[in-house]
Amino acid sequence: MAERRIIDGYTTPGTERETVMSVEALLGAMDVAGVARAVIAPDDRELAVDNVAGNARVAAMASRTDGRLIAACGANPWFGDQSIESLREARASGARMLVLAPALQGFSVVDELVDPLMRAAGELSMPVYVHTGQHAVGSPAQVLLLAERHASTRIILGHCGTTDYVADMRFVLEAALPNLWYELSFVRPFAMSVLHEAGGSDRFIWGSGAPRNDMSMQLRHFDEHWPIDEHPVTYAENLLRLLGEVAG
Amino acid sequence: MIFDCHTHWGMCFVERDGRDPSAWLAVMDRYNVTHAIVLPHAGLEHAGHIADDHDDLAAVCAASDGRMIPFVTANPLDGDGGLAEIDRWLGDGEARGVKFHPWLQGMSVCTPFMDEVCERVAAHGAPILFHDGTPPYSLPAQIGMLARRHPRTTIVLGHTGLFEYWREAIAVMNARDNLWACLCGPQLEGVRQVLARCDRTRLLWGSDFGFTLFDALGYQLDLFRQAADDPTCQRILEDNPRRLLRWDA
Repeated sequence: MAERRIIDGYTTPGTERETVMSVEALLGAMDVAGVARAVIAPDDRELAVDNVAGNARVAAMASRTDGRLIAACGANPWFGDQSIESLREARASGARMLVLAPALQGFSVVDELVDPLMRAAGELSMPVYVHTGQHAVGSPAQVLLLAERHASTRIILGHCGTTDYVADMRFVLEAALPNLWYELSFVRPFAMSVLHEAGGSDRFIWGSGAPRNDMSMQLRHFDEHWPIDEHPVTYAENLLRLLGEVAG
Repeated sequence: MIFDCHTHWGMCFVERDGRDPSAWLAVMDRYNVTHAIVLPHAGLEHAGHIADDHDDLAAVCAASDGRMIPFVTANPLDGDGGLAEIDRWLGDGEARGVKFHPWLQGMSVCTPFMDEVCERVAAHGAPILFHDGTPPYSLPAQIGMLARRHPRTTIVLGHTGLFEYWREAIAVMNARDNLWACLCGPQLEGVRQVLARCDRTRLLWGSDFGFTLFDALGYQLDLFRQAADDPTCQRILEDNPRRLLRWDA
């Protein structure tokens, strides 16, 4: 059997509260789970108020791992022009993806406040990961609106509305926007058949959400409901395409 | 014994199995879950189905050799009729508690009806389990206000804030002694935080199995056991549910 290639689409090896995880611990968890590479994102405080320091910390972590860890960066749109500058700096330091966390950062995902940052990410060819939840400011339907408004920016809808807004995903998936992908951390593995039936199975990206969830356990349960061998697109290829590492 | 304190006799099971619990119980057996609090489903979706849903629930639980423990609901718009439905099932002990799902049932918990329900259910010595973890009607703090107004009523947060509001669930659990919480929804680190920061004598575990045909137990039980040591498992999977349900009375 060919070696399986698995990339974790979202982890948060942070420094405080429930995200505490060292680079060594993350790499160890990946080894145990059989995960080849992982996206690493700044922790909550770094996403909310400490973008520059958080981006530098994450970039430094990634630079030590010979490409095994893929740096994402944060930029809070409330910082205005400064957020775009910090995005460009992060990109120059190796960040491959922008993360928006509307509930943490204090804006609604449909607020025009975020438009300049979205345009800048598009110009830099950086995919934008958007956390869904808390859903008053970051629901799947709101992310759909954002994706329609920014057709030239590629967007990853994080968590697929887990938990109770996963019902909204049916219409989102049926809309089949060409610039929208769907990340699976915190999605209950047994809900995959519902998402699959709604369409979009060629746009899923698996993620563990570690350390908030256990990487090995998440992967084992997902393999049961959405087999790794049958869905290499979900477990690696979509992300590699988004990052420009493979064509398509 | 292992108690799953958040399951449903779902509409999908009614449609597939009628009033035969054997397939439902087979899923429980797969994980050595011996008992389950079984909540309604059709009656939560449509108030006109409450009576039939309760009859189905009672029949299927009666066929489970005591393993399935029914909770009932009431139409929040039916005033005295809703209270009578609660009395009908709790009065002779056929049901062991009451369930409300505020967003499915389209109700605020901040109503005179809910005040009456709380006092009525407390008089029966039974708990009320709420769906929680979603706005606008089901935030842990909202349900906590009800617990504050009715200190002799035992109220259970059915999801401990779910995925997004477990921090709020911790805050309200630590403010209200008559509030319990069922670990059925938070991610692993959320479960760990709840275990570390809340009174463990008021915590339960649940899977939400039965709402759909999916086998939710394996995942939810794995997740819980990742966070809990053996004494905590014993307490939350057996001791606390027995106390909540007055099992030994």
